[in-house]
Amino acid sequence: MKKVWKQNGFLAIAAVLLLAAILPLFAGEYALHIAVLVLLYAYLSTAWNILGGYGGQHSLGHSLFLGIGAYTSTFLFTKAGLTPWLGMWIGAVLAGLVGWFVGYLCFRYGLKGPYFALVTIAIAEAMVSLTNNLNAIGGAMGLEVKWEGNEPLLMQFESKAGYYYIILGMTIMAIWLVHWLSRQRFGYQLVAVRENEDAAEALGVDTLRTKIQASVLSAILTALGGTFFAQYFTYINPRNVFGEGPSIQILLFSIVGGLGTVWGPAVGALVLVPIAELARGWLGGSFAGAHLLLYGAVMVLVMLFMPKGIIGLYESLRQRLNRNRPAPEEERRSA
Amino acid sequence: MSMLTVSNLSRYFGGLAAVVDLSFTMEEGEILGLIGPNGAGKTTVFNMLSGFIVPTSGEIVYQGRRLNGLKPHQICNLGLTRTFQVVQPFPDMTVLENTMIGAYVRHRNTADARRKALATLERVGLREKANTLGRDLTLLELKRLEIGKALASEPHLLLLDEVAAGLKDTEIEDILTLVRQLNQEGMTLLIVEHLMKVIMNLSHRIIVLDFGKMIAEGTPQEISHNPAVLEAYLGQEE
Amino acid sequence: MIFSYELLAQALVTGLLIGGVFALISVGLSMIWGVMKIINFAHGEFLMIAMYIAYFLTAKGGWDPYLTILVTAPTLFLVGALIFQSTIRPILKDPSMNQIMLTLGLSLILQNLALVFFKADVLTSSTAYTRMNLMLGPVVVRGSQLIAFAGSALTAVFLYWFLQKTEAGRAIRATAQNRDAAALVGVDVRSTYLLAFGIGSATLGIAASLMIPFYYTSPTVGLFFGLIAYVVVVMGGLGNFIGALAAGLIIGLTESVGAAMLPGSLSRVLTYGLFVVVLLFRPQGIFGGKRQ
Repeated sequence: MKKVWKQNGFLAIAAVLLLAAILPLFAGEYALHIAVLVLLYAYLSTAWNILGGYGGQHSLGHSLFLGIGAYTSTFLFTKAGLTPWLGMWIGAVLAGLVGWFVGYLCFRYGLKGPYFALVTIAIAEAMVSLTNNLNAIGGAMGLEVKWEGNEPLLMQFESKAGYYYIILGMTIMAIWLVHWLSRQRFGYQLVAVRENEDAAEALGVDTLRTKIQASVLSAILTALGGTFFAQYFTYINPRNVFGEGPSIQILLFSIVGGLGTVWGPAVGALVLVPIAELARGWLGGSFAGAHLLLYGAVMVLVMLFMPKGIIGLYESLRQRLNRNRPAPEEERRSA
Repeated sequence: MSMLTVSNLSRYFGGLAAVVDLSFTMEEGEILGLIGPNGAGKTTVFNMLSGFIVPTSGEIVYQGRRLNGLKPHQICNLGLTRTFQVVQPFPDMTVLENTMIGAYVRHRNTADARRKALATLERVGLREKANTLGRDLTLLELKRLEIGKALASEPHLLLLDEVAAGLKDTEIEDILTLVRQLNQEGMTLLIVEHLMKVIMNLSHRIIVLDFGKMIAEGTPQEISHNPAVLEAYLGQEE
Repeated sequence: MIFSYELLAQALVTGLLIGGVFALISVGLSMIWGVMKIINFAHGEFLMIAMYIAYFLTAKGGWDPYLTILVTAPTLFLVGALIFQSTIRPILKDPSMNQIMLTLGLSLILQNLALVFFKADVLTSSTAYTRMNLMLGPVVVRGSQLIAFAGSALTAVFLYWFLQKTEAGRAIRATAQNRDAAALVGVDVRSTYLLAFGIGSATLGIAASLMIPFYYTSPTVGLFFGLIAYVVVVMGGLGNFIGALAAGLIIGLTESVGAAMLPGSLSRVLTYGLFVVVLLFRPQGIFGGKRQ
């Protein structure tokens, strides 16, 4: 990219961040709610994208990690009064272990594509059944995050602004992390594994370890989001954290926005979540699944007409315009 | 001590013998050619040397290190890199990024890897295509990239698998020149090739395989007059 | 954990009968995925559509449930063919991930359309067959389940005969093995894919009609059966119908015995756990499939 464009890029991001920072000053509670949802799903999808988009291992059961995070922190809070600020890290470690275990099993035995997808679905569904039967953690009734009033130290806020800033911070951190990783050895190697596993292996990439690392990282980040999920919605049950709904939504935004890109998941969430929420608001009680219907239709259309997502579409248009551009003297890849 | 010592290497697929009791050595700085009719077992040998297939029996020792059972990435890290007969680029990565994967073997830092990759692209004549995606290259460019990726990993022993296949005469000349240069700079090479003129011109020594067994070993001169070799390629001589 | 021999015997019988139905649901998928390499994650939702049709015909229309096959099978064939032509055929050559995602989207659409039209209600129809029971000692054999089992076996046999002995069936097998070669010998590859997908979907119509006397329908009924179908197909080996039959029985037994022995819905965990184990250690299926 030319230097001017890059500077503009930085300015643009800075402007957006500034706007994001002061949003609560002029946005109402409902607008903030939508903002929180956009950010939450941008965050979760960004975490999924590490394994799914960059790594090319499409997990259809990522709700596993969301649920581990949500249940761990909520359980510890409910039973031991432990603040979710600490509980979330315990959940993250747990999820990391599970992510390592699942990753090791699957990748050690060479599961790919639909087989890997099926395993992830089966594991997540098994978790739904399991938690349904564990009365110690609420069984089918789930767990409620008891309202203690406006307690920032317990990750509970009177107004949405508190939640907003937390998820804003998490999302910024996650996106920056992906951006940074994509320019490190790990990031390049991960993509190489996705693109051609044998070739990567032949060029010194420990493909098994790389995939597992992606799985662990993705799991940890997702679980942290799970705690936020629990705190924000204040109610979790087996279906709404381990079920296929969250799994599909998490990956949907990456697909629509652009797999394996830094901004793809965020773009996808930004475009889809507000529309879906508005639809849900309009049709409201008369139609509970309005937003899922919309998501389903979007998935079908995207796969048919723009499988590389919004960013992919943008990139291919850009390539077409730049077809005859010579290689630069000093190649410096920017965001 | 030889750079590479292969002793009694065998590989069976069920009842089928792909490679039988193969033994040879390689010294540093030489170009060893591996030839034989189709199905002679050449690719299987490559796959065993580079860790993609586990030998049924026998030993592979590289610079004093036993390679049996090591995974391909470990072998590459030890300094033995292979190319693939059917080119294996990373389609959605640029030529530069493709090569950086090789460079990352010796350089952890991205800036260093990029620098090394650019220098390598210069070597193999792909500098102009640095920003082109792997999927958009011509066959010759893909072949160059295949070599470039391997080169960037700074191997001591480079295994080239049918690097000239599918290329026009002029293109083959280019590749030959490159390979000769590499060898002059000290690179040890094991080459599998079908084109006789290529292998005869390049190799210091040649090994001939037929039905998985070594039937001849010697200089290009010796090999081209060896009746067993002629028979293997051409059938029964009158 | 309650244990009694009567309970176990009952669970075994029910498991076998249900297993037959699992097999039927899966045989279509075995053909579509195993033979044609098409991944359809909306397989369960196709079944759901058929079950709603069968339900309304029997509960509101007073039809004999088994006669509804005359409607459900052709309707599902058409539905399958339509969906295949419009959404799946264009992306057949794309990476499998795209097919998975698209059909996942389809399943969301179908599930939620059902939600709109029929609400989340669980609908059961009561027919003459519902109360028809046999007694084998202490074990109750539900007539409707026995008929379903027989119907499943018949359909599986018919499908097998179709693939082996008819021209269309041979065309399907040829295309599955090598589409270019098949095209060269004059097989209309496009029609073949369409036919295979339609037939695979039609088997779900038959399965639904057989199930409606003893099973409910709801918008989410496809979730479970869809996943079961994949479990059975993988376990039986892709494209292996006999394997699907055997695997169906195994899973039916696992579910049934598990439900009897384990508290709550832990039997599911057992089933999915078994699935994961098979996927890891023997993805070609217990009986080996035609292709991996």
